[in-house]
Amino acid sequence: MSVHIFGVRHHGPGCARALRAALEALQPDILLVEGPPDAEGALPLLTHEAMKPPVALLIYVPDQPSRAVFYPFTTFSPEWQALGYALGRGIPARFMDLPQAIQLAREPVAEEQATPPADDLPAAADSGHPHSAPTDEKPAISATATPPPDPLAMLAEAAGYDDHELWWEQQIEQRRDSTGVFEGIFEAMSALRADLTPRDDEEAQREAHMRSSIRAAEGEGFARIAVVCGAWHAPALAQRDDAKADTALFAKLKRVKVETTWIPWTNSRLAYRSGYGAGITSPGWYGHLWAAPDRVPIRWATQAAQLLRGEGLDASSASVIETVRLSEALAAMRGLPMPGMAEMREAIQTVLCHGETAPMQLIRDKLEIGEAMGEVPPEAPAVPLQRDLDAQARRLTLKLTAEIKDYDLDLRKDTDRVRSQLLHRLGMLGIGWGEEQHTYGKLGTFHEKWRLQWQPEFAVALIEANIWGNTVASAAAARTRQLATVAPDLPALTALLERALPADLPDALEDLLERVRDRAAVSSDVRHLMDALPPLARIVRYGDVRGTKAERVTPVIDALFERALVGLPGACLSLDDDAATAMVTSIDNVQETVSMLNRDDQRAPWLATLRLLVDRDGVHGLVRGRCCRLLLEMRALASEELRRLAGLAFSPVNPPEQAVDWIEGVLRGPGLKLLQQDDLWRALDAWLANLAPDIFVTLLPLLRRAFSGFSAPERRQMGEKVKLLSVEEAAGTLGVRPSGEGGATHGPIAQERANTVLPVLAQILGVNYEPGN
Amino acid sequence: MTNQKKAPATVIADAPALESVLRQHAEQQFAEELAELVKIDDRQRPPNWKLSPWAVRAYLLGGKLPNGFTVSPKYIGNARLIEIAVATLATDRALLLYGVPGTAKSWTSEHLAAAITGDSTLMIQGTAGTDEAAIRYGWNYARLLVEGPSPAALVVSPMMQAMQSGNIARIEELTRIPAEVQDTLITILSEKTLPVPELGMEVQARKGFNVIATANNRDKGVNELSSALTRRFNTVVLPTPATMDEEIDIVERRVASLGRALELPAEKPALEEIRRVVTVFRELRAGVTEDGKTKVKSPSGTLSTAEAISVMTNGLTMAAYYGDGLLHAGDLAAGLTGAIIKDPVQDRVVWLEYLQTVVKERDGWKDLYRACHEVL
Repeated sequence: MSVHIFGVRHHGPGCARALRAALEALQPDILLVEGPPDAEGALPLLTHEAMKPPVALLIYVPDQPSRAVFYPFTTFSPEWQALGYALGRGIPARFMDLPQAIQLAREPVAEEQATPPADDLPAAADSGHPHSAPTDEKPAISATATPPPDPLAMLAEAAGYDDHELWWEQQIEQRRDSTGVFEGIFEAMSALRADLTPRDDEEAQREAHMRSSIRAAEGEGFARIAVVCGAWHAPALAQRDDAKADTALFAKLKRVKVETTWIPWTNSRLAYRSGYGAGITSPGWYGHLWAAPDRVPIRWATQAAQLLRGEGLDASSASVIETVRLSEALAAMRGLPMPGMAEMREAIQTVLCHGETAPMQLIRDKLEIGEAMGEVPPEAPAVPLQRDLDAQARRLTLKLTAEIKDYDLDLRKDTDRVRSQLLHRLGMLGIGWGEEQHTYGKLGTFHEKWRLQWQPEFAVALIEANIWGNTVASAAAARTRQLATVAPDLPALTALLERALPADLPDALEDLLERVRDRAAVSSDVRHLMDALPPLARIVRYGDVRGTKAERVTPVIDALFERALVGLPGACLSLDDDAATAMVTSIDNVQETVSMLNRDDQRAPWLATLRLLVDRDGVHGLVRGRCCRLLLEMRALASEELRRLAGLAFSPVNPPEQAVDWIEGVLRGPGLKLLQQDDLWRALDAWLANLAPDIFVTLLPLLRRAFSGFSAPERRQMGEKVKLLSVEEAAGTLGVRPSGEGGATHGPIAQERANTVLPVLAQILGVNYEPGN
Repeated sequence: MTNQKKAPATVIADAPALESVLRQHAEQQFAEELAELVKIDDRQRPPNWKLSPWAVRAYLLGGKLPNGFTVSPKYIGNARLIEIAVATLATDRALLLYGVPGTAKSWTSEHLAAAITGDSTLMIQGTAGTDEAAIRYGWNYARLLVEGPSPAALVVSPMMQAMQSGNIARIEELTRIPAEVQDTLITILSEKTLPVPELGMEVQARKGFNVIATANNRDKGVNELSSALTRRFNTVVLPTPATMDEEIDIVERRVASLGRALELPAEKPALEEIRRVVTVFRELRAGVTEDGKTKVKSPSGTLSTAEAISVMTNGLTMAAYYGDGLLHAGDLAAGLTGAIIKDPVQDRVVWLEYLQTVVKERDGWKDLYRACHEVL
C-alpha cells in the first residue's frame, strides 16, 4: 500500500501535463482530489460528451443561493485531468476537502457580499473561504481582506524574481520534461512549511479532513492511492500520525444542506482581472501552452497575426518571423530557456503592432485571456438562479404561467414595489416575463401596469443568465455593469441608468453613475451631454418614490451641466437645418432639466448662456429663436429686449429664410403666451408686409410650417391680433387695453354702429336695453 | 545637389580640445564607463559589437558593476523597453524609436550607438530637405569633372560609411524626410546593400551594421512611413515619464539649469509651483486627474515635459522682469494657457472645462484659477 501526494497549482498546464504522466506511470487504484465531497454526485457528468470546459462546480445553499462557492475547471487544470483519468479508467475518484456543507455553515448569515470590483464578474460566491495562497488557489472566492504572506512569492524572491507568476511559469508550467516536478514542489513546500502549522483554524480543519480521507482510503485497502492537492498542503498531508486529533477538529462542526451543479464558466472569469482573487492571469496563454504540441512561440505569434488580420490590420508572415526572432533574442538576453508570455507580448507589440498599444488590447482579450465559454450537459441540476426566482415568485404570489396576467402595481405598497423590482431586474437580464404598459395620468409616478406571461424559453435564458450571478438581484446587477461597459455613447448609458433605476440595484447604479461621469468628461459631443440630463434629473426629482439617493446623482448632473454650458456656444455655430433641429431638442432637454430641478445655481448660468446664444451671429436662426422663446418663458426677457431682437431678426439684411427659422424657433410650443407680445407681432407684420412678392411666395410654405403647430383657435386669435394691431396703428391709439384670459382683446368701439345692433342683442340675451347707457 | 557633407570621422580629427566643445559625444563623455564595462564584459557579443547586449543594457540603465564601479543611468524609465531595443539590434533588425517630442528618443539612440559600436556620430538629420545623397552618396563634382566617375569622387554618406565599417547609422526625425527619399532605405534595410551603378559596384554592409531611427508620433501626418518601410523596423514607443515625482524631478533640474544659463534674477521656483504645473500637464495629457477620479479631455498639443519646463522658465522670466521676483500663479497663467491652447477653438473648450471642473474645485488652487480665467 502506498500513498502518492501530488502538490499542484490549480490551472497549471505544466502541472496538468506532469500529473497526467505521473498517473499513467503510477496506475493508482483510487484518486483523491482536493475538492468538496458534497460535489461527488456531480462527478460522473464530467466525462459527459456535452461537457466542455471551462466549467465550474457550483455548490450553494438552496434557500440562500447567494451563499455559494465556485470551483472552476478548465482543460489544463490538473484536477480536471486527474478526474478525467480516474473516470476513464473506472477507478474511484473522491473529493477529500472539508465538505462545503461545513464551510458554508460556518459563515455568518450575511447578505450577498458587495460584488467584486471589476466588470463582468457575477456577484461571485462569498464563501469566506480564505484561499490559503496562490499555490492553493482553490477557486472559492475569498472574502478575507489580507491574505497571509504568499509562499510562492517568498520562493520566487529567493530565486531572484520579483514576479512570482513569472517564476512559477518558468519553473513549472513551461517545463516539458516533467520528471521530478512533484518531488521538487514537495521539497520546496516542505522547506517553506518547516513547522507544518496551519495558518488558521480553517486550514487546520481542511487539512485534517484531507488526512482523514486518505486514512479512510487506506483502511479500505486500496493499494496505490494518488492524492492531488494544492502544493501548499502537500507536506501537511504526508504527516498522518494523529487520527483522533484530526477527526476531533471537524467532527462536531455544524452543517447546512447544500446542492451542487455544473455551470458554464468563461476564460475571462478564470483571469485575475475580474476580481477573482484566485485565478491565473492569462488562461489563453496557459491553454496554448497546454494545447500546442511544440514550437510554442511560433504558434503563438502566428495566432496573433491571424487575429490582427481578422481585424483588418497588416500582419505579414515576414513580421511573424521577426516577432519570433525578437522574442527569442529577448529570452536569451534575460537568460530564459524559451520566450514566455511577457517576451511574446513585447515582441508582438514591437514588430506586429508597430509599437502601438491599441491592438495589444485585442491580443490581451482574445488571445492571452481568450474568449472560451464552457458548456454543461442539459442533465446538470437546476441552477440557483432558477431556484431564487421560484422562491421570490412564490413569496410575491406571482405565478410562472403561460397565461397572460395583468397587474397594476402601487409602488407605495411594499409587496408591489418588490414585484416591480423583480420584473425590472428580470428585464435587465433579458427575461421579458413582464411587459410594462404605459401609464397615464396623475398616478403615473406611483403606479406601474404590467402584463405577465411566462414563456418556456425563459428557462434556458435563466441558465444562461446564471453566469451573472446566483440570485436575480446579483445577476441583474452584474449584467447591468456589463451592459454599461459596452454602451456605445453617453445617451445609451443614461438610458440604461433609467432602466436600471426601477430595478433597484444600488451597487450597479453607483457604477453606472461613475461611468456616466467618465464618459461625460471625454464626450466631445455637447448634445450627448445635454440629452443625458433629463433622465438624471428625473432620478433626482422622482427617485424618492423608490428610495434612490438623489445626492449620488446630483454631482453627476452638475458635472454634465457645466460641461454642456461650456461647450454649447461653440456647438451652436455653423449648423445646418437638421443639426439645428436636433440642437433645439437638446436645448429643450436642458431646459426641462433646469425647470424640473428648479435650482437657482443652474438657472442663472443657463439664462446667461441662452442670452449669449440669442445675440450671437452665426448661430442658426432656429436655435436663436428657440433661446429667445425660452428666455421669454422664464420671464428673463423684457419686452423692449424682445422688440430689439425681433427687429434684428427681421432686419432686411438677414436672408429671409433665417428670419423664418427664427420665427419658427420662437413660435414652438403653446401659442397663447405669445399673444401678449405686441412688439413681436408688429415686427413680424412689418417684415411680412415689406417682403418682395416673389420672396413672399417662396417663404409662404415655411411660414405655414412655422404656424402649423398651433390649433385652429390659436391661429385665429393670432390672426385677429395682427389685424387688430394694424387697426390700432392706423387709429394711432396705442395703449393699454383690457385683455381677457384667452388673450381676446377688443379695439375701440364705434358707438353709432353699436347702437344699431344693441337692441337686438339685448333681446337675444334677454336683458333690458336702455339707449344711452 | 552638391552635398558637401564631410565625413564625420574627419570632423572629429579636426575637433578642438575635448573640454572646450559645447557638448561632447556620448562615447566621449562616458568613455570611462564604457571602458569599465568592456573590462568586465565576458558575455557573448553579436559580431562587431563592442559590448554584449547585457552590458549595453547595463550602460543605458545604470547600476553597480560586479567590480564595484557605478554606471550612471542614461535612460530613466521602463527597463523592458531598453531590453527590447537592444534585442532588436541584436537580431539585426532596424530600430525605430517612436514617441512624442521630449521623450529622450535621440538621447537613447545616441547612447545605444555609442555603447554598441563606440561611435554615435554616423548621423543623418531628417528634414524636409533631406535628399537621397544624404542617405546614399553624393559626388565631389570638381573631381567628377576632372577624373570622371571614380570611387575617389564619391562623397560617402554616414549610412554608406556605417555599412562599410559595420557600425550603426542613426537617422533623426525619420518622418520629416520626404516619402520618396525614405524609400531608399528599403533596399538598405532588407538587402543590406547599396548599389553604386555609376561605378558598377555596390557596398555590402558588414556585420554589425544597423540603423536606429527616431520619429515623432505627433507628426505622423507629415510623411508617414510607407507600410513597406514600417515593416522593416521594430518599433519601440518611448512614453512620457511614468510618475509624477519622476517628472517633477526632471522639470526642477532643467528649470534650475536653464535659470542659471539665462542668469535670471528670480528666486528658484517653489516646488509647489512646479508640482502644480506638472500636475496640470500630466492630467491633461493623461485625460484623467491624478487621483484617478475625474476624467478630463486632452488638448491637441503634446504637453511634453519639455513644454512644462518652458512654462516654468517663462513664468520665472515674467516674475523676474515684471513681477516681484517671486513666482506667482499670475506669472504662470499666460505661459500655461499658451502651452495648452494650440487650437483656438477646441483646446479653449478643453482648457475651460478643465478650469471649471478641476482647478476651481481644488484646494489652494483658487489663485491659479483666477489668474488663468483672466488671461482667457
